[in-house]
Amino acid sequence: MTDENGGIVVEGVARSFGSVQAVRDVDFQAPPGEVTALIGPNGSGKTTLMLILASLLAADKGTVRVAGFDPAAQPSEVRSRVGWMPDTLGVWESLTALEVLKTLGALYGMSEAARTSRAEELLVAVSLTEYGRQPARVLSRGQQQRLSLARALIHDPAVLLLDEPASGLDPGSRVELRSLLRSLAAQGKTVVVSSHVLSELDEIADRAVFVNRGRSVKNQTLDEAGTQTRRYYVRAEPMSALAAALGSYGVSFETRGDSRREEFLIQLGSTAEAAWLLRTLVLGEVVITAFAPAGGALEETYMSLDTDRL
Amino acid sequence: MSTVTEPSTPQPVRAATRLSHGAAVRSVFSLEMRQRLRGRAWYWMLGIWFVVIGVIFVLGLGTLDPAGNEGGILFDLIVGFVLFFGLLVAPGLSANAVNGDRAGGTLAILQVTLLSPGQLLLGKWLASWVGSLAFLVLSAPFIFWALTLGGVDVSEALVSLLMLAVELGVLCAIGVGISALADRPLFSIVSTYMVVALLTVGTLIVFGLSSALVTEEETTTTSYYDYPQSAFQDDGMIDPDAERECTTQTYVAPVVHTEYIAWLLAANPFVVVADAVPYDLPDPSTFDDEPDSFGYVGNYYSPGVMEMASQLVRAAQEGPDLDVTCEEAEAAFMPISQQTPIWPLGLGIQVVLAGVLLLVGRRRLTMPARRLARGTRIA
Repeated sequence: MTDENGGIVVEGVARSFGSVQAVRDVDFQAPPGEVTALIGPNGSGKTTLMLILASLLAADKGTVRVAGFDPAAQPSEVRSRVGWMPDTLGVWESLTALEVLKTLGALYGMSEAARTSRAEELLVAVSLTEYGRQPARVLSRGQQQRLSLARALIHDPAVLLLDEPASGLDPGSRVELRSLLRSLAAQGKTVVVSSHVLSELDEIADRAVFVNRGRSVKNQTLDEAGTQTRRYYVRAEPMSALAAALGSYGVSFETRGDSRREEFLIQLGSTAEAAWLLRTLVLGEVVITAFAPAGGALEETYMSLDTDRL
Repeated sequence: MSTVTEPSTPQPVRAATRLSHGAAVRSVFSLEMRQRLRGRAWYWMLGIWFVVIGVIFVLGLGTLDPAGNEGGILFDLIVGFVLFFGLLVAPGLSANAVNGDRAGGTLAILQVTLLSPGQLLLGKWLASWVGSLAFLVLSAPFIFWALTLGGVDVSEALVSLLMLAVELGVLCAIGVGISALADRPLFSIVSTYMVVALLTVGTLIVFGLSSALVTEEETTTTSYYDYPQSAFQDDGMIDPDAERECTTQTYVAPVVHTEYIAWLLAANPFVVVADAVPYDLPDPSTFDDEPDSFGYVGNYYSPGVMEMASQLVRAAQEGPDLDVTCEEAEAAFMPISQQTPIWPLGLGIQVVLAGVLLLVGRRRLTMPARRLARGTRIA
């Protein structure tokens, strides 16, 4: 499916640097028209995987297909179709944002007219129009991050690889990034995003690949993640009444240890079960002041994976 | 970030998976030049350069005798200094071209485009060459000043400047090549200076050390003019009517056959420039035959520094004169005309060195990378 029409297919990929095995065995698919999140702790091999997909690093073994092409054998085919936003900020300090975009456009073989109009469009898209003619060194970190995103989009790639795109962005920019990525996916592009900020990925990702110690440990769509067991925080006034009520319904709970407020943590199998519990508690005259999922669906998966400090 | 992401031209790059060499090299070149022109460092270097060359020129102008070969010597001095400073400046401009970008995180961004490693290196080399040529251009006022003093052939001036430009290009190529190979800018700049030192000082040292290998015992004949014993009067003064006589001696002595090792000097940048320049040597047939006040026959010959270098190389190529006749002893310092040009060999060695460095550097930049140096990150 994804092989023919684009997207990304990775099977059994491994890559080591000397004695360090950065990627051991990763399988995943990122179909076109969807945002795929690459989730894992620091040093789990996410960036290495991104570099392999961006045709900068050769895999030791395994097969990789990006937009239907092998990055190792046909790098030019892949490069013309892939936009890559690195996790490091590479800045040509004395160049203006517009010049950076136009230069990159030229290096993707775009005509003068095409790259100029595309660069102007992208500056609007990432809200940097007023900085277009200023040297890049005056940009703040978040602005440079946005310029980096625009750079990755300059040749209208079918596949987007974004390594930590949200880091350094203010809340407003994050919302804009989210809608930008959703609209790109809606246009049929393949979007791969790596991030630690799971609550954010919850809202933009269609599927998630969990990577730890160089292995892909779980592939999951967000719909699947939504139906899994989740934890809820419940607060009531007084807490003793809540404890008594929960005890009488046979619902096990624990006291949350990582919060300033006193809260109970309850494991529930589905949203239906959560709705039932809330209704029952309210009808049972328990004064509920808070009843909320403990984290996003992806965070739940992340925390539930049986890996050390994933 | 609104939703304006629909491209104005649908699929603008789908067709292009290759970049024309012209467009690619031009893009890299202008990227480099823009950064250089907007930085301060380059202007500071140019300013210091101008002042130093100016000071040297004015000092030379003040100390040299206007009656002598003033224009020629001053021109030669400027050429020598431009080459000397060029050897110092070119590595600085070129030897961090690639790994400086790697350190700044911009190299991978270029590598992920359709730009090929060869195009990248070519653009970087051209930019650093043009950057160094600016130093040559800035020396132009002094070069023209020296030329107006006369004594310098048009061909001599043109070839000198052309060879300077070529040497700067070769040095920049070496610097860019090393910068693609070495991981850290500091290391590559120091390495490039080491290569420059190897070419300029190293060749001389090797030449000097090798002379022991080509020293042989030879029967040598020398001649010299002196007054005979009878010319000395009782008071120790020389009889004004006495004639100097030629004495010829033959003995066995160690002789250095520099003709076997002269090629070791070829790759020296000063030798390459000096040997290529067609200096306008005085023609012995125009010399008057009357000995001058020092008893020597022939015109006074005063070469500049570069011409002197060229003469020394030719003397080394010629080897020792095992039979100095009375006629030779009578003549003043005779300029040696060129027999076998040595500069094509020297330039060839330099070009091969630069080419090898660039080729290995190109392989190093070819992505996807299979091997990475320890401690380096692609991005």
